[in-house]
Amino acid sequence: MLFLPRFDYEEPRTLPEALDILSDLRSDTKVIAGGTDLIVNMKKGSVDPARIVSLKRLKGIRGITRKKEIVAIGSYTTAADIARSDVIARSFPVLRKAALSLGSPLIRNRATIGGNIATARPAADLPPALIALGARIKLRTKGTNRTVIPDVFFIGPGRSILGKDEIITEISLSTLPPFTGADYIKLGHRAALEIAIVAVASRITLDSPDGVIRDARIVLSAVAPTAVRALSAEGALLGEYPSDELFAKAASLAMNDCSPVSDIRGGADYRRDMVRALTIRTLANAYREACGQGVGL
Amino acid sequence: MKKIITVTVNGTEYESAVNPNMTLARFLREGLGLFGTKEGCGVGDCGACTVIMDGQPVNSCLVLAVEANGSAIVTIEGIGEGGKLHPVQEAFIEAGAIQCGFCTPGMVLVAVNLLENNPSPTENEVRQALSGNLCRCTGYQKIVEAVERAASKIVCGERAGEL
Repeated sequence: MLFLPRFDYEEPRTLPEALDILSDLRSDTKVIAGGTDLIVNMKKGSVDPARIVSLKRLKGIRGITRKKEIVAIGSYTTAADIARSDVIARSFPVLRKAALSLGSPLIRNRATIGGNIATARPAADLPPALIALGARIKLRTKGTNRTVIPDVFFIGPGRSILGKDEIITEISLSTLPPFTGADYIKLGHRAALEIAIVAVASRITLDSPDGVIRDARIVLSAVAPTAVRALSAEGALLGEYPSDELFAKAASLAMNDCSPVSDIRGGADYRRDMVRALTIRTLANAYREACGQGVGL
Repeated sequence: MKKIITVTVNGTEYESAVNPNMTLARFLREGLGLFGTKEGCGVGDCGACTVIMDGQPVNSCLVLAVEANGSAIVTIEGIGEGGKLHPVQEAFIEAGAIQCGFCTPGMVLVAVNLLENNPSPTENEVRQALSGNLCRCTGYQKIVEAVERAASKIVCGERAGEL
């Protein structure tokens, strides 16, 4: 049996109280949401906080609300909540698919969207979809408020711009323009309880069902220190008519938009090949969705 | 410092002082003597420690006991009624879905929770629901059959009750 080291535990009742506790900037403090990453790391000894601050009792940071064109997801919303949300299924099916790729049903009942972002794992399941969808992350400290995009939030494996005194409170998404489609594919050895070997999220927006590509995002995961956008691949798509050849060209460019390492889950060359394969597939699926009615209507 | 928690386990309310580093799995086993909850990997990969927390199956090895304060927990000891096995447990026996038995409490609890929310699941839905629970005796096929058998038992039982 794996045991947890000793620590103090604080359970603030309100967000201001939580931010007040964190404002002493103690470096030995960790915030706990679902705990599915933190507790594992503590049991394995890779982190050893002297103090844990739980967000469990905070009101107003769990749940999904839609106000006109903006869908707001509280940071304490679990992956299971996202997967079963009608709003998400209707407006952002790619995020639902990403949520269903995370861990297992048991993990998804605990793991939160805020935690999946805060831990900054290079193979995390939600960030690629969030980047593809142009999400915004709201951060709060005792005295400040800021909103950042996930593209700049992550710095490296386990590292982000999140301050020691800062809490992620909300992730917001704008509903997508017409003729938009998106897809997320995670390659793993098995379907559940797996960390991605490579994962790709793509989104394209067309001018019209038979028009050119007006906007495109391709996000590559587990092939760089953070999820990265395949900028040269995206550039190749803009203003062009969708075709298999175009998607193949973009996918080849995407192979050089990342910097995979060789590790126990896969070699760097294999990962590059899979970036190409998954980029083609996600683009093709996104195009199919965009040609239909698209999502977010 | 110990924290006082109040947890309802299988319908009984318990008040207890626990260290923050006590997991829910250890609290159930060592604090309450409910040894039906097993701990396998301890890191959320195997599902042997599954309990139902506020209506949702979770890995109790990854939940702090202090975080279960105010929650309602159902363990494998809490699903039978009046000394009778739950239909899912009966189905596991009938289908031969138990070998060493270590994964069984978690498998059964996930199945009970699935059938409460979805009384007639497809085979694929059963497999997906069980995808966080590992069986190292490799008896998955019979476990899936047991859950399907339990589903028809429960649906038939309810129909019989209506008559």
